[in-house]
Amino acid sequence: MIIRVLDPTNEISIAAGQPAARPTTLQGKTVGFISNGKEGTKPYFAELERRFREELGVAHVVWRTKSNFSAPANPSIVDEIKAWQAVVAGVGD
Amino acid sequence: MQQSNPTVLASKAYDVEDFAAAQELYHGRGWTDGLPVVPPTESAVAACLEWASMPPDQLIGIEPVREQPITAEKLAINAVMAGCLPMHFPVVATAWQAMLKKEFLLHGLTSSTGGSAILVIINGPIRHEIGANSTFNALANSDRATAAIGRALRLSLINLLDVRPGGIDRTTLGHPGKFSYCVAEDEEDTTWQPLSVVCGIPAGLSAVTVMGALAPRQIMNEWSTDPREILETFAAEMRANQRHYSIYGGNYAIVIPKQLREPIQAAGWSKRDIAEFLYERARVRRGEWADVGKGAVVRDRGETVHTALTSPDDLLVVAAGGPAGGFGAVIPPWFGGKAKAVTAAIGACVDCERG
Repeated sequence: MIIRVLDPTNEISIAAGQPAARPTTLQGKTVGFISNGKEGTKPYFAELERRFREELGVAHVVWRTKSNFSAPANPSIVDEIKAWQAVVAGVGD
Repeated sequence: MQQSNPTVLASKAYDVEDFAAAQELYHGRGWTDGLPVVPPTESAVAACLEWASMPPDQLIGIEPVREQPITAEKLAINAVMAGCLPMHFPVVATAWQAMLKKEFLLHGLTSSTGGSAILVIINGPIRHEIGANSTFNALANSDRATAAIGRALRLSLINLLDVRPGGIDRTTLGHPGKFSYCVAEDEEDTTWQPLSVVCGIPAGLSAVTVMGALAPRQIMNEWSTDPREILETFAAEMRANQRHYSIYGGNYAIVIPKQLREPIQAAGWSKRDIAEFLYERARVRRGEWADVGKGAVVRDRGETVHTALTSPDDLLVVAAGGPAGGFGAVIPPWFGGKAKAVTAAIGACVDCERG
């Protein structure tokens, strides 16, 4: 006997955000690091900053930390992003 | 005789040969929790919606982080799959309304490596209507209603928010409560206020409380009738969780079965008295982390005191469990106070302004 059953998924796709234009170089640029607040982000971002400065010529690195590692970044942090040319958001578990 | 309008459903339909083919369809598409599901037919789904007087497109809410809408029809499909009867569906829908409150932080606790499940606590007259059992085996497969309702939440998380292992669910270990984690409070065999009343819901109303919760940690104290001594055992387990898992304060649930409940009640202790006692007793110095291998994060804050509860209001005291045995359970939060437990009345609008 044929059984007609229903799709349990949402069947909708939320439009994905568009990625920002990729910078062709980081020379002289400002890069933001957004930590989720976990311990593991500290050595990871420290090493990344060293490499960005030494190998890619990054001029400024701004560190910010979310107040809740499982929630979106605080609005004040999001507001700052427009002043940066690149952002690295790390999990750090 | 007047015919009522049939409920028109919008979901995509699939025709399968038989029950076994339905299982293969759902397992093959990753739409299950690994166990067989009840095939969600149009009539079974419509029956859930009609019982709750919900049109299929009723918006239960929107997940705040990923902005995913949750509709009554999709919840009903998942509830049927979990084994819910129509009378169970209002509990499922209300639990979801509570889970979608911003302070519950659904995305965080379902995506975290920490591996929590959603604990559901049912209060009020609906417990009797659905046949929930609050006594023997209260935290496990005690009855059809709580088993199916808890499972419905997990299946709907999988199918509506992609909370499947390796998808949004990044859990390292998880625990068996992720299949189903639902308990009804034993309101008739206690002098205490129901949890829902403690949380602000008027007495006599049915309600659900949801909490991002780790596995229950069982305690035993069959050797005292002194409330302080009994509760010291609970406090010790909460401190153990602070030392071994997370030191930070937040909602804890404790489940107190009859044998331990009665001497506490007989001594005149209320749920508030228990909460205030445990707020004082369940606390550790940060330096204790060095005793359990976590000295690296003590630093210069060894004398800082961390309470398991940020205030007595954080404690959810639940009367439930079989009649014999000096046992109890401490159910820790997913991660401190990052997510808050939420209580919602069944059949009431959780977002409506008071008139």
